[in-house]
Amino acid sequence: MTEPILQTRNLKKNFGKLEVLKGISVDIRKGEVVSIIGPSGGGKSTFLRCLNLLEIPDEGQIFYQGQDITDKKLKITKYRQGIGMVFQHFNVFPNMTVLENVTLAPTLEKKVPAEQAKEEAMALLTRVGLADKADEYPRKLSGGQKQRLAIVRALAMKPEVMLFDEPTSALDPEMVKEVLNVIRELTRSGMTILIVTHEMGFAREVSDRVLFICDGVIKEEGTPEQIFTCPHEPETIKFLSMVL
Amino acid sequence: MDKIIKIWLKYYPVYLSGLWGTLWISAVTVLLGAMLGMVVALIRMSHTKVLKGITDLFVEILRGTPILLQLYFFWIALPKIVPFELSDTQCIVAALAVNASAFISEIIRAGIGAVDKGQWEAARSIGLSETHVMTRVILPQAVKNILPALCNEFIATVKGTSLASVFFVGELMTSYKTVQSATFLALQSLVIAGMIYFALNYVLSRLLRVIERRLMVSD
Repeated sequence: MTEPILQTRNLKKNFGKLEVLKGISVDIRKGEVVSIIGPSGGGKSTFLRCLNLLEIPDEGQIFYQGQDITDKKLKITKYRQGIGMVFQHFNVFPNMTVLENVTLAPTLEKKVPAEQAKEEAMALLTRVGLADKADEYPRKLSGGQKQRLAIVRALAMKPEVMLFDEPTSALDPEMVKEVLNVIRELTRSGMTILIVTHEMGFAREVSDRVLFICDGVIKEEGTPEQIFTCPHEPETIKFLSMVL
Repeated sequence: MDKIIKIWLKYYPVYLSGLWGTLWISAVTVLLGAMLGMVVALIRMSHTKVLKGITDLFVEILRGTPILLQLYFFWIALPKIVPFELSDTQCIVAALAVNASAFISEIIRAGIGAVDKGQWEAARSIGLSETHVMTRVILPQAVKNILPALCNEFIATVKGTSLASVFFVGELMTSYKTVQSATFLALQSLVIAGMIYFALNYVLSRLLRVIERRLMVSD
């Protein structure tokens, strides 16, 4: 087993009086693909968002390569550059072309020369089949194309970890496949990946490990085989019987 | 009616210089007001409690007192505070700009607030600094919301400058007073000023429509 790249210890998050995360501890190893499943409102997305500090946890620690990133002195910006995130609603920048969406962060924050950034961006866009859209504005793209762009935008920063927050939930059914194909390809490249998803078939296929999060805790975890064929916890059994 | 025409033919240079005064005072007011308003808006959205409290109070006071009172206040107080000579016009422009900044800061704040929350998150998630999040992602999108409202503010300012005639600073209402006291034809000279104001604002609001439509296209 390789060393853990991301660890959380007793992670807690409240929204007002609502306890969304009630203490989550998990080790994510380098190169591991982890799917997070569970009922809506169970804390899956909040957990994922805590991992790049879009939500600041109220209690507990997050360690990235051994360093505590909940430490107030840490530069959040620098840390986030190593963690890519893809959102349910794409959130591509409508005021920039497809290419500019991708080159923005590398040129601004990593000082990559414009030419090189463009070259790398084009290579990534080609990989997801968007090279011919490079000079278009995102309003001309379909949902699936927007999400592929969002993935490329995150990859352009060469992150160590990619977080996917329900990447296909806002897509029309016929576009789900094209996005999943891109993610599937990534899972084979050895990148560390966490996916919150409702695509059970996909989770089963690509994951090394599945976490079942419910009521703000990890109720059950294991290999896809264990979780999908012989779940132990009653909540897991109930949830799977409803979605499968 | 023929009296109006007669007055116009004789005194149109007075009105035109008044119109010019109104235009440049409005333009400078909105420009300075926008710059100051931007600063106020950014402070009000920041997390620095003390500064935020001060700017909140600043906006509340300016919105909660009559603009005429503010003009008098600047006219009386400003020359006593600053170490250099100030003309009446400069005092009045300063007052109008500060007043406009309160309203413009609200416009800017609302414009920024209307940008989808996901844009902030996406910009942060790719590791942009807070400055770049603002300047590269949020503000360019907020401008679309801000610009039309800012044009409206410009129209309101054009009308607001008429109050400056209390201090005879050479805008359109001052022109009216000059003509009125020269001709003793109060109503007719007032109607001319009114028509000029109306024509000016009509053109401005048409222009505003065009700008709005342009912005919509690029959505």
